[in-house]
Amino acid sequence: MRTSYEVTAMPKSPLTCLIVDDSAFMRFHLRRMMDSFDNVIATEAANGTEAIREYGRLRPDIVLMDIVMPGLEGVETVRKICDTDPGARVIMISSVSYKEKVADAMAAGAKCFIPKPVTTDQLRKAIEDVLSPETPAQELL
Amino acid sequence: MRLDFVRMFVDSTISLFKEIVGPTVDVPSLTMKPSPVAGREVMAIIGLAGDAQGRVIFDMDTFTAVQLAGHMLGEPSPGMTPLVRSSIAELASMAIGRAISEINDCGTKLRMSPPTVITGANLVSYDQCYETLVAPINTAYGEVRVNITIQDLD
Repeated sequence: MRTSYEVTAMPKSPLTCLIVDDSAFMRFHLRRMMDSFDNVIATEAANGTEAIREYGRLRPDIVLMDIVMPGLEGVETVRKICDTDPGARVIMISSVSYKEKVADAMAAGAKCFIPKPVTTDQLRKAIEDVLSPETPAQELL
Repeated sequence: MRLDFVRMFVDSTISLFKEIVGPTVDVPSLTMKPSPVAGREVMAIIGLAGDAQGRVIFDMDTFTAVQLAGHMLGEPSPGMTPLVRSSIAELASMAIGRAISEINDCGTKLRMSPPTVITGANLVSYDQCYETLVAPINTAYGEVRVNITIQDLD
């Protein structure tokens, strides 16, 4: 069984990642997945407001973003992040994945959408895709 | 009561549990109960709003919650820790989110609140006047009841 994943499109310097989810379980789960990739530094935010602050401070290579959160929810948070940095690479990971919500997220600037529960392989593929400049925005439904 | 939505919530919960918790899941029967719903020691509550309104409550005993969370976390948990509460909340959120997505794609606008987990003895949830459908789901770690109330607004 493979226990370590190499993200092939990853730069030589560490890949920086901001995990945004109000669920401590999901932050734990996603961090463990990210830790299974080589050369990744992950930071966490528990809500949209914290995510915007951390994004401005760290400018991470990728953001993993939940949608249903108390206060500032995920799609609006993506919109605000992409307003300040149109090049932001945001992967939505949400239990709510109906067509209109997915379209809203992509219109707000998300590069990829994965419905929960997310697998390590789905996450690895999504990261490789958003790091590849040729890949258009997409849904992994 | 929107029985079609109730069916979607039960089906989405079963399919999600099969993916995450394991294959030993079945629903012997659905029962209608007047409010209030008497819960067990752990309740995960999700509010529903939009073209319809209501709420879904998952209730289970502490042993079941800790075991389910341990399975999700990939390691045993010593008790009802914050991470166990969060795991149960996420399990409920994923189950109901899946049904919400299907319902919205069928044309009814319905939103869900972030889940709230309450723990304690003899928990009771009071609703004004709505009846509740209860689906008991048997897992390898014990029974989880899904208590569903949903009404059209008009």
